[in-house]
Amino acid sequence: MRASLKRILFLCMLPLAACDLDIENPNALTEEEVLADQAGIISLAVGMQGLYAGNFEELIQASALVTDEWGTTTGSLLSYRTLLQGPTVDIVSDFGVVEEPFETAFLVVRSANTILENVGGVQFDAATAGSIRALAKLFKAMALGAAIQHFEEIPIDVSVPDPVFQSRDIVLDTVIALLESARTELAAAGPSAIFDTRVVPEEFDVGNTIDAMLARYHLIDGNYSAAITAADRVDLTSLSLFIYPTPDINPIFNLGIYVSPLASFVAEAEPGDERPAFWVDVSATPTGGTPPDTLLLPFGQYGTPDDPIPVFLPDEMKLIQAEAYTRLGDFDIARGLVNEVRTQSSSTVEEPVANLPAIPEAALDSEAELLAQIAYERRYELYEQGLRWEDVRRFGEALTTVPTIEFLPIPRQECVTNETLDC
Amino acid sequence: MDHLALRVRTLLPLLFLPIGFSFSPLVAQEQPYQIRGTVVDAVTERPLPSVQVILRGTNIGSITNEAGEFQLRAPVAAGTYTLAVSSLGRATATRSLVLGTERFIDVGTIELEESAVSLEALVITGAGVVSERRRVGNVVETVSGEAVAEAPGATALDVALQGRVTGALISENSGQPGGGVSVRLRGTNSILGGAEPLYVIDGVLVDNSSAALVGLGANASTSGAALSNRIADIDPDDIEDIQVLKGAAAAALYGSRANNGVIIVTTRQGQQGEPRFRFKTSASWSRTPDTYDLLDYPFAGLGDVAFGPADSIGQPVERFDVQDEIYRTGFGTNSQLSVSGGSGGTSYYLSAGWDDEEGIVRSSDYQKRTGRLTLSQLFSEQLSARVNLSVMQTEAAFVPEGEQGTGGVLTAAIFIPTSFDFSFDTIAGRFPISPLVGSGHSNPLDVLANWRAPEEVVRFIGSLGTDWTPLPAQDFTVRYLFGIDDYRQESEFFRPPLSLRPQDTGFITNPIRLSRQFNHDLTADFGRRLSGSFDTRTTAGFRYTSSTSNVLVASASDLAPGQTTVGGANQFASESIDEIRTVGGFIQEQLSFAEKLFLTGGLNVEGSSAFGADQRYQLFPKANASYLLHEERFWRESAIGDLLTALRLRAAYGETGGQPPGAYLRFDNYFDVVYGGRSGYVASQTLGNPDLEPERQREYELGFDAGFWGGRMDIVFSYYDRRVTDLVLSVPQPLSSGAEQQFQNVGELTNKGYEIGVSTTNLDAPGFSWRTRFSLGHNENRVEELVTDADTLVTRYLNAVVEGEPIGVFYGRGYQRDDAGNIVIDPATGLGARAPDFKIIGDPNPDFVAALGNTFTLGENLEIDVLFDGRFGNDVANFTRRITEFFGSDAVVEEEIRRRIAAKTDPTVEPRIYTLNGGRITNYEEYIEDGSFIKLREVSARYRLDPAWLGGFAEGASIRVAGRNLYTWTDYSGLDPEINLFSANTVARGVDFATTPIPRTFIIGLDLTF
Repeated sequence: MRASLKRILFLCMLPLAACDLDIENPNALTEEEVLADQAGIISLAVGMQGLYAGNFEELIQASALVTDEWGTTTGSLLSYRTLLQGPTVDIVSDFGVVEEPFETAFLVVRSANTILENVGGVQFDAATAGSIRALAKLFKAMALGAAIQHFEEIPIDVSVPDPVFQSRDIVLDTVIALLESARTELAAAGPSAIFDTRVVPEEFDVGNTIDAMLARYHLIDGNYSAAITAADRVDLTSLSLFIYPTPDINPIFNLGIYVSPLASFVAEAEPGDERPAFWVDVSATPTGGTPPDTLLLPFGQYGTPDDPIPVFLPDEMKLIQAEAYTRLGDFDIARGLVNEVRTQSSSTVEEPVANLPAIPEAALDSEAELLAQIAYERRYELYEQGLRWEDVRRFGEALTTVPTIEFLPIPRQECVTNETLDC
Repeated sequence: MDHLALRVRTLLPLLFLPIGFSFSPLVAQEQPYQIRGTVVDAVTERPLPSVQVILRGTNIGSITNEAGEFQLRAPVAAGTYTLAVSSLGRATATRSLVLGTERFIDVGTIELEESAVSLEALVITGAGVVSERRRVGNVVETVSGEAVAEAPGATALDVALQGRVTGALISENSGQPGGGVSVRLRGTNSILGGAEPLYVIDGVLVDNSSAALVGLGANASTSGAALSNRIADIDPDDIEDIQVLKGAAAAALYGSRANNGVIIVTTRQGQQGEPRFRFKTSASWSRTPDTYDLLDYPFAGLGDVAFGPADSIGQPVERFDVQDEIYRTGFGTNSQLSVSGGSGGTSYYLSAGWDDEEGIVRSSDYQKRTGRLTLSQLFSEQLSARVNLSVMQTEAAFVPEGEQGTGGVLTAAIFIPTSFDFSFDTIAGRFPISPLVGSGHSNPLDVLANWRAPEEVVRFIGSLGTDWTPLPAQDFTVRYLFGIDDYRQESEFFRPPLSLRPQDTGFITNPIRLSRQFNHDLTADFGRRLSGSFDTRTTAGFRYTSSTSNVLVASASDLAPGQTTVGGANQFASESIDEIRTVGGFIQEQLSFAEKLFLTGGLNVEGSSAFGADQRYQLFPKANASYLLHEERFWRESAIGDLLTALRLRAAYGETGGQPPGAYLRFDNYFDVVYGGRSGYVASQTLGNPDLEPERQREYELGFDAGFWGGRMDIVFSYYDRRVTDLVLSVPQPLSSGAEQQFQNVGELTNKGYEIGVSTTNLDAPGFSWRTRFSLGHNENRVEELVTDADTLVTRYLNAVVEGEPIGVFYGRGYQRDDAGNIVIDPATGLGARAPDFKIIGDPNPDFVAALGNTFTLGENLEIDVLFDGRFGNDVANFTRRITEFFGSDAVVEEEIRRRIAAKTDPTVEPRIYTLNGGRITNYEEYIEDGSFIKLREVSARYRLDPAWLGGFAEGASIRVAGRNLYTWTDYSGLDPEINLFSANTVARGVDFATTPIPRTFIIGLDLTF
């Protein structure tokens, strides 16, 4: 028997020699494989940008719908209608419009965190590693910054189960700290050929974007001097773009079958303002849309699937400074900046130009006048950039529009699954 | 089939056949005895082929031929011997033989009982493990190959099992030829996983995939519902027998694939002797059992105005019934030629089959070509080997059916008003485009003439098995089997340009699935008698399996006119590879005490690549007991022993597992994205779960087998209680983690029920016998636990998974009712109003499944079988009627039109609004109907021709006239309550939506042996 058993065992082993239960997934890479080498980290960094750029519409659509930017082409999309009509309709917290900005922001955060945690694990040169870290921090900051403009509170440290939701102040401080850190890292890293050729498209200037975002979030956070300093550093002759070469599709273009600019955007502009025609196809005949009795016009910008989307516009920097100086009490500089924006008649980059007359001092020498004017300029300069909802919060009565809702509710899935929440 | 079973029946006799066996010194010096005889069925007197005949106490044996005859050459000393005759699924018969000076002995006719409690019958309990039924404490149902091969009109073995497995719910999901079949053994045991049993053919684990390559049964983008399942590739005529292990208690040794039970198929093997040929052929005619009752009232209604040619209600219109041009009588032929023989240490079985069927819907057909070779060779007393090779080619031409979006043929017939003329437009040079443009509706005649949805499968199933008995004096055997199942399935869906709308540029997709499964099984079996009345048998085994599937899809849209291959302006392709490997070992100990009490315990350890390292190896235990009360002296001697001549009590427990719904759910996967012309990775929003485990079933089974009056009536009763825990469900994740879901083992469900099988011999007189077989099964399914208590997972249309309810209940809006419970009538429509709330409105699971079979023999040569098959208490969602009413093509709409016309002159006429009644179409309760039915499943009459008439032409011949699904008794208003839009889907059951009904089939056949 014993000899036979040995023979049996031997026979067992023959067919089982190839028996390995550690099968890899041939259809998709595993995290282990992705994090194993430089190419994987580089691809993660590309994927992170793709996530942000590819889902950009999810980070601006709520802002455009709750304010006076967009309407919808059909009334049948209940989730859009809740944003258009606000409190008159219950906002259901598992609607896509509620989940999407949260989901996309934290997809980007997850991607950035993975990069930040693992970039040190592969053999990059210091310049490339530093640049990639700076890029990850920039995108994480942009994602958190976009999210805090939609929700009253959001979590920051999502590496733990049941992350705690933090107040707006803490989130904004975190965003700014991330951006400052990104700026320092990028400066220390110096130029990296790998980063410039394989990680970011040449249409995207990382350093410039970090400064622009610093200006944006310092302003939102009320750090006016810091906002002015950061905006000063931004090179206004260079755009940073999200690009959509085929087969990518500009996501706002893609959304165009459901949403359209409100015709009131054009009608309410100052006569002679050339900016509405930049954003909207003003030559078209308005069509009826939702909310009821509203008129819609087709998109002008983003009318084709490969149109790029600017991450920020140069005049946002001037208007940030104008607003900061106004709030600091320096009305003359502020007025000068407003008039610079108004009187711009041409640009070396693709941006809206107003080509309007300057406003005389007498008409623009109080805080209220200046803020109202800045709010107007921001409306036409920074259309569908996802900034208008936040503008409404900052400018309050200086604006003619009231958002249909103040903030989005916390998405239901987060409520149900995050133990720290009670909603 | 299992290789031990094979050894017992085939190799044992071969091993010791002295004929032409030069190197084995078995031959005694004396001239051997020659023993001959015939084995027949005890009731029908029909000869039984492939029955094993053994001279006990020696190693001499043989197998009966087609005429039931056997011949043994026994080089043994004179003395008294016992001749034992046994067959899988039948009781063993014995004859005492006194061998003296007479060398030629004819034992005459030996009758074998086909008995539900045949306790001597051999049953399979695991890979390479067979046992006599009396030793096994769980139910193993056996269906003879004869029954399968002769089930009229059943071209697939699972169809042939309808009405033959107690309590099993076996449904043809569509009436298209080659249409898919769903088998549920003791309820549904998973939610996201599959619900179909594991199939094992001659020890080879075979694929029974029904995953759709092309969605033809339901919306192509959401389905996964195929019109076929792959067990149909097997030729039922090759089957020797089928054994059914219904779940964990019986199938623990099959481990992590056995949650839905195991169907074990054994094919015919070669038998010693001159070549013996068998030729079977039949012709069949199939018709639809009924057609939709469509509107033929010659005045226009709202539907005719909205979608048809009419301008105003009441205007005279011409009506067409396109069903006349959709259905036809489908003609089919099915033939098989087989030959079996052998000499020396070699025996063979060779067969070829041809099956051609036309569907009842024009342009649908099905062809199957099969070839099989089984070759056994004895190398020495200790070693034998066997090779099974079978090749199959099936070609099916399907037509789209089911909901909108697929261009379904019957779909168009119900959506489009009968005033629309679909016939060829000779001016435009094409079939007119459906008036319901934009919603994926076709012109059914265009589909039948110009679209294509073929499917071709080329498949190879083969195995190599060896048996080795290294210790001649001991009952010790080592078996090894290597099995492979390899196929290529090519599908196509071609929709020419201009099909759905004037701007339609057509579509073509050519998916190919390459599937390969193989298994290595090594089993050792050791039996010992420890004392006079105490036996042990130890079986240990080792198994390695691998299954790989690679799906390649190439598609194109924007086709040029005349283009029929993938190409042109807009092409896309994808590939997806799935692989699961398992490795495991088992040990089983069987103890028998005084041949009365049998105890079995077993442990099966199995590892699967689908599970993470910590959960990889899983233990599946089993234990059972069988007690033969009638073997006790007090029983035999008491009065009850005369009445209850056999009584066995049994109890069994076992655990099995289910594979997860995906092969790679344990990984954190990353997917490719392209951004700015660079390739990047993005993490999947489905988190990997390294702790994923198999869904685990624990089943208790209690029962008894009782034989009354020496086998005049047998009753087999089983009660089971199974609980499936660790059901894999999608668990939502906090979105802040950057993920959306993770598959976790969180769900739980139970199936409890009982099964009763009764077989009686009502009359057994010379010239006339009558046997009855009745089976009844009751199952209660309950979803015990989901991710959260409040979860209602709705799959497809209405079928939902709700805690505390049976799986797949219909969940939707229903009638508004007053306090007394009466339906509130909506005055605007004259029909019941709809309430706004969602609730459970029906249950597709039957309360009872029953079958009743009667076999009559008249005279020497005529045998008549009648089989009824029914299910009771199941609901069907009649989406077909919902659509015919809403779009105004139902005959019931005549009343609406009459009232609309009358209302023009008399405003007091109350309306009766079906057409475009938005409240009614969302009032699903209206369309939930009682789907209980009894079908006259099979009728067949076989007449055996007197061999004398045949002259020398053939040894035996019989003529058969038969029918399948000849009549259905049901209250269901649709065509067929058995079909299901979602094909083999686990949860979405009982939905009828323009699905081809199961045809009524008449068959004439001829069987010849020569």
